[in-house]
Amino acid sequence: MTVVTPPAGRAATRSRFKLGREALMSIGGALLVGLVLAIIGLVLPPTNYIVFTLGFLVFLFTAQALAWNLIGGYGGQTSFGHATFFGIGAYATALLQQNAGFPPVIALLVGGVLAALFSQLWGYPLFRLRGFYFAIATIGIGEVTRLIVLNPLRNLTGGASGFTIDAAAGSGKLEQYLTGLGLAIGAFLISYWVRNSKLGLGLFALNMDSEAAETLGVDTTRLKAAALAISAFIVGLTGGIYARAYLYISPESVFAFPVSIAMVLMVVIGGIGTLLGPILGALIYVVIQDYLGAAQLTIGARTLQFRDVQLGLYGLLLALIILFEPAGLVGLFRRMGRRFRRGRGAGGDATAQSAVLNQQSEVE
Amino acid sequence: MALLEVRGIDVFYGEVQALWGVSFTVERGEIVTLIGSNGAGKTTTIKTVSGILTPASGTIEFDGQRIDRLPAHKVVGYGIAQIPEGRRLWPEMSVQENLELGAYAGEARGKRNETLKRVYELFPRLYERRGQAAGTMSGGEQQMCAIGRGLMSLPKLLMLDEPSLGLSPILVAEMFNIVREINSNGVTVLLVEQNVRHALELASRAYVLETGRLVLSGAAHELLNNPQVQSAYLGF
Repeated sequence: MTVVTPPAGRAATRSRFKLGREALMSIGGALLVGLVLAIIGLVLPPTNYIVFTLGFLVFLFTAQALAWNLIGGYGGQTSFGHATFFGIGAYATALLQQNAGFPPVIALLVGGVLAALFSQLWGYPLFRLRGFYFAIATIGIGEVTRLIVLNPLRNLTGGASGFTIDAAAGSGKLEQYLTGLGLAIGAFLISYWVRNSKLGLGLFALNMDSEAAETLGVDTTRLKAAALAISAFIVGLTGGIYARAYLYISPESVFAFPVSIAMVLMVVIGGIGTLLGPILGALIYVVIQDYLGAAQLTIGARTLQFRDVQLGLYGLLLALIILFEPAGLVGLFRRMGRRFRRGRGAGGDATAQSAVLNQQSEVE
Repeated sequence: MALLEVRGIDVFYGEVQALWGVSFTVERGEIVTLIGSNGAGKTTTIKTVSGILTPASGTIEFDGQRIDRLPAHKVVGYGIAQIPEGRRLWPEMSVQENLELGAYAGEARGKRNETLKRVYELFPRLYERRGQAAGTMSGGEQQMCAIGRGLMSLPKLLMLDEPSLGLSPILVAEMFNIVREINSNGVTVLLVEQNVRHALELASRAYVLETGRLVLSGAAHELLNNPQVQSAYLGF
């Protein structure tokens, strides 16, 4: 599977004077959207399924997808091992709260930090591997971690029977909604900041040409490790929030391979390496899962469950996206926007050409 | 003391030996050229100096300090810039972003605005195209961008790997003029070329590599008249 694509969403131009307007729109826009969504949550009754169940999931998955995109999109290091961070965050938060009596906020933060520390444990040795080899090794890390939690650590984690959190220690609907929203907005702001920072420039550079980046003084290993740590911290927090919301976790639910795959999927569907793509991807992923989660197809005497074939279908979708529109939905929208402009401005080829270049540079 | 002193380096790609005991020096302010045919080890030599490859034995000293065990991203900080073969720009990034990446690390970063101005003075064409995606420029412009990117790290030594590759004869001449101008501003140059005539006309001294070994060295104008060099590289 070639998910190792250049970050097509990378703005071609980033001149200084434009940065001011772009920053205002991105940061201001994120805060405004956050405020509106927060008000919606405060006004509506917590029984509203779409807002408090689906909305909450969209926030969690948005945070995960944005976090995965930092290392997988910006840095081009395709990780299939991010479930480890989700699981560590979930278990650390649950255990610290339940067994050690930590206040929820501290338990969550410690979960995030532990996930970040764990990422450094495998990040440094694995970053010596390139491309496919890195991706394959992360699958191994994910599976080994799951098996360790499942068996050797079963006294602590509850093993295959999982771990239940007292309802009293859990979070209410509104709290879930608001913490999820806050984390999603935070992940967006971090993504925006990284994208425009020295770290981001280095990541884009090493993604496209690692050797050239090295000769210009980019310490590629350190940068990849830094991006992975930030990524792991955010995914760890989503794990803690998930555990507090669902009150039951097991290695099969939080450390499972499909958890990792979901992050790759959302980002690739939405647009790898872009700022908005992961958000779009998360939204679509949650909607598909909700509508098709229980879907089944009966042919004669056989019944096909969506959940049994979903990995295969998603794999096919991934392959199609990578073949035909590597920049995902963001790439598709960009292409449509370009066609629209060309249609309107029909005429001079040269101006159309430069319009395309400008377009590419302005829109994320 | 020489600026760059390479002593007896052996370099391997896995099991395969690519350089056998290569030694050469580059004095401050000089233009030195490494010439040789395909597969002679020119690029390997440059990559070893810049830290992408590590020699199995032998030493490399720059400005009196050992650099042969350092990773590439640290070597830049000593004042060595490598302009790689085939330019290796970031085609989707703008010209300006490519240039800024040249000043990614160390002291150069703090001075990048001044340096950028100087690079734009040297290459007005790059200033005109600063917002354009680097991959959309012509080969000559891309080569200028690659050289500009190298200069952004404020190097004492600029190593150019086949800068004339794929350029028209007029552009090749222009490229060599630019290299001369950079050198006259105090930057030492190590030039790797297959365009042997131009390289020898530009350089003060030259080394000839053949299948991983140095076979000949001397003043550039002498090599230009050396019958061996003439028959092997100049087509007499």
